[in-house]
Amino acid sequence: VRLSFIARRLGFGLLQLLALAPVVFFMIRLLPADPVSRLVGLNATPEAYQAAKHGLGLDQPMPVQLGNYLGLLGKPGLLQGDFGTSWSTGEPVLTDIRRTLPVTIELITLSFLCAFLVSFPIGMLCATRPEGLADRATFLFGLFAGSQPEFWWGVLFIYVFFYVLNVAPPPLGRLDPLLVPPATVTGFITVDSILAWNGGALLDGLHHLMLPVATKVFVLSGPIIKMVRQNMLRVLGADFMLYAESCGLPRRVLARYALRNALPPALTLIGVLYGYVLGGAVLIETIFSLDGIGQYAVNAVLNLDYPAIQGVVLVITAVSLLVYLALDVLQAAIDPRVAD
Amino acid sequence: MHRKAGWWAEAERHSWRGDNTCRAAKPGSQLMRRAFGAFLMAATVATSSGARAAPTQLLFLAEDVPTTLNYDGPSPTVNTSQTGWLNLLDPLWDYAIKGTNEDGLRIPDFSKFEGRLVQSWDYDPATLTWTLHLRHGVVGCTGDAFTADDVIYTFARAKSVSGKTTVSWFLSHVADIKGFESLKDPNKVLGDGVEKVDDYTVKIRQDHPNPFLQAVSTTHAMRIWDSKIMKAHATADDPWSQDYANNVNAPGFGPYCLERWVKGDEFVVRANPHYYLGNAPIDEVVMKKVPQSSNRMVILRSGQAQIVQGLTAREYASLRGAKGVQVAGVYGNESLFISANFASPLYKNLLVREAVAYGIDYDQVIKTGYLGQARKADGPIPSSFPGRIQPSAQFNYDPAKAKALLTQAGFPNGAGLDKYPDDLKLTYAAEREATLGPIATVIQTSLRAAGLPIVLDPVPQTQVATRRMVRNDLPLALSDIDKSAVIDSVYATLLLYVSHANGGIINVNNYVNPDVDKLYPEAASAGSVTERDKILAEIQNKVQDDLAMIPIAETKTQWAFSDKLKGLTWHPDNAVHWYDLSLSK
Repeated sequence: VRLSFIARRLGFGLLQLLALAPVVFFMIRLLPADPVSRLVGLNATPEAYQAAKHGLGLDQPMPVQLGNYLGLLGKPGLLQGDFGTSWSTGEPVLTDIRRTLPVTIELITLSFLCAFLVSFPIGMLCATRPEGLADRATFLFGLFAGSQPEFWWGVLFIYVFFYVLNVAPPPLGRLDPLLVPPATVTGFITVDSILAWNGGALLDGLHHLMLPVATKVFVLSGPIIKMVRQNMLRVLGADFMLYAESCGLPRRVLARYALRNALPPALTLIGVLYGYVLGGAVLIETIFSLDGIGQYAVNAVLNLDYPAIQGVVLVITAVSLLVYLALDVLQAAIDPRVAD
Repeated sequence: MHRKAGWWAEAERHSWRGDNTCRAAKPGSQLMRRAFGAFLMAATVATSSGARAAPTQLLFLAEDVPTTLNYDGPSPTVNTSQTGWLNLLDPLWDYAIKGTNEDGLRIPDFSKFEGRLVQSWDYDPATLTWTLHLRHGVVGCTGDAFTADDVIYTFARAKSVSGKTTVSWFLSHVADIKGFESLKDPNKVLGDGVEKVDDYTVKIRQDHPNPFLQAVSTTHAMRIWDSKIMKAHATADDPWSQDYANNVNAPGFGPYCLERWVKGDEFVVRANPHYYLGNAPIDEVVMKKVPQSSNRMVILRSGQAQIVQGLTAREYASLRGAKGVQVAGVYGNESLFISANFASPLYKNLLVREAVAYGIDYDQVIKTGYLGQARKADGPIPSSFPGRIQPSAQFNYDPAKAKALLTQAGFPNGAGLDKYPDDLKLTYAAEREATLGPIATVIQTSLRAAGLPIVLDPVPQTQVATRRMVRNDLPLALSDIDKSAVIDSVYATLLLYVSHANGGIINVNNYVNPDVDKLYPEAASAGSVTERDKILAEIQNKVQDDLAMIPIAETKTQWAFSDKLKGLTWHPDNAVHWYDLSLSK
């Protein structure tokens, strides 16, 4: 893959983010509610309200507020990499995002990895024996898993695997609350516990991810299996595969050819699903008490925390753009014609 | 070597947890951890030089953990944030304990103050001056001794109005402390209103005779800071360490010291080894955010947590009688009201307000919304407040009377009400749908039967707050959050019923009664309890006659907890004070 291809995509992504920033800035200010009243509480006097409004800079004209947000008026702003300070947590938004984003990324990435590892062999098996027992069972599973929203499956899994069977940990976040977490380096518990050589935290972290990942995989694998199955069926029936088969090539070589041609559409689906799941992670985070970016975003919206909302939207967009870029690079590696 | 140290630290931690009697075993789970744990236990036993006392730990599950530890920080009225600093900072005074209620909850005596950081005190009515003799031998988490400088720092910080909010200034103002007259005062330096006499004596001067000084000092926002640590974290941009208290710690002289705090996740404290009232019975408390109330309930039932809060009425009901779990509550300061706006063309008519009051099926609200854990509110002030009376005007469910009142108001069978579509919307916070939704539906059904075609209007809490607080323009709102943290009928009157023009604080529905405005200062400065109660009775009768708010139900503040947990005490801030608690084996 050519570097110019990656640089072009990165530059385009940066432009998209720059265009998005003022749009988000104005859109959240159109909401018919006032963040100051939320901030000062119900017992505030009108003077206290005005003092808080001034403290947040919301008494300034809108262009001045935008200039301050972008960092065009002398103080550091978005263009200098400063997302501002959250009005509800009092922390810099970047600090909050550094804390919450890894939790969600870890959950989703592991879920997709597991879903990918589970779905591909099953999808291929279904494609090799259409209408066979495995294919029919998979079809039923897809219907079953997709018939209920994931938060419902999450609650059900907690009840069954934690409360009734007692084989899963309680939904208490990433680690047992009575365990000292490893020192934060990357924010990913799995990585940080390895860096700290803390086996207890690593096992406990994986153990606490077990149910949320299982819930995600349960819901995600249905559409991925279907996509892999359909692509494999299409590829297996293609002329080049029939030709290869008639030439007497071994089955493993045929499987490699088929897989390579069936992968790109499935990867595209995973990329689309990744962005979608990242934006909607709040449900699974809430159920499993994971302090991820989804919960942070929802709290920011409920509290009308403008700096946090702006920061979260930009960061989630950036992550989605990076995921798409990574997939494009993978696609280009599989099929070099894409990069041209 | 580093590797060894890492694994070893983990081994110690697990062995400590293994001794913990308050955590249930998890049979059959964590196979990998078992093998690992066995290795760790063996390692620990092999190298421990001797047995040590098992520390007690408490796992407390809540909707959130503190987002700030600064009572002048953002959103200081949030219960979970208050829980954080209330366990780290101590007040000057607190209420004595009266006894236990029928649920076994310890209840304060609101007529009797006990010195906490104050050892003893004198009041001179001639000069309106309080002389506080501070407690000796009080030591904070880092070993700093408590002195008058800490009290002066606390009030000077309040006077500085340097935080995102101004709660401590406001409470000082409510107590009429000299120097706290107006927020617009450009002088932000503490004068002689609060003055150091010597290291253990402070004088507080008031502008007017005012009964609130001790009462407000018991609340969440007049807690004393450790001035040395706060000053050590001050910067040129932030001389009062607001950021430090918002994001890092609340250094004080309370029973616990902060050990770990991850916003949105967990808040861990350890007992202050120097606490002046004796060490806390529970050595370590972990406050953990579990957003789903059903999960909090399930984890409590599993025995892994010892206390949870913020469950729905149905969840509390399902836990009553559950093995190993206890539910306790108190009729404290939480009530359900409807506020009908006096500026609304419909509700400025007393007959319509009365029709609403007679049209609500109170019993059904209590049955459906609270599963019996509430009682009909029969006055504008909760029944637990000293000086509170049951007013002579009472409004019970009587749809026929409601219809008759509507007819009298010019709306026979509701005809003509369609001209007021906005006024017929019953607004409540959508985030509280689980609790308020079923109640609003019962109210809607019963009011429709009485001829009032009410429409439900759940909107985001931010919008409710803006329209109630800032614009005061919600025609009809259902709310269960208007409560007074100072258990005092005079203060509640100021909070809810005195007009804005005369210093009223909340008064969300533009209620103005000149008689009430005139009587309030008389009650505040009454010379005796008898005189004060007489004036308060007059105020409450007027407010009830006017239906300034339509009281619906007094609701229980509840917690569910392990039956091994003892000492749970209700405080007017509705936060759990962990020092009160102990765990039996």
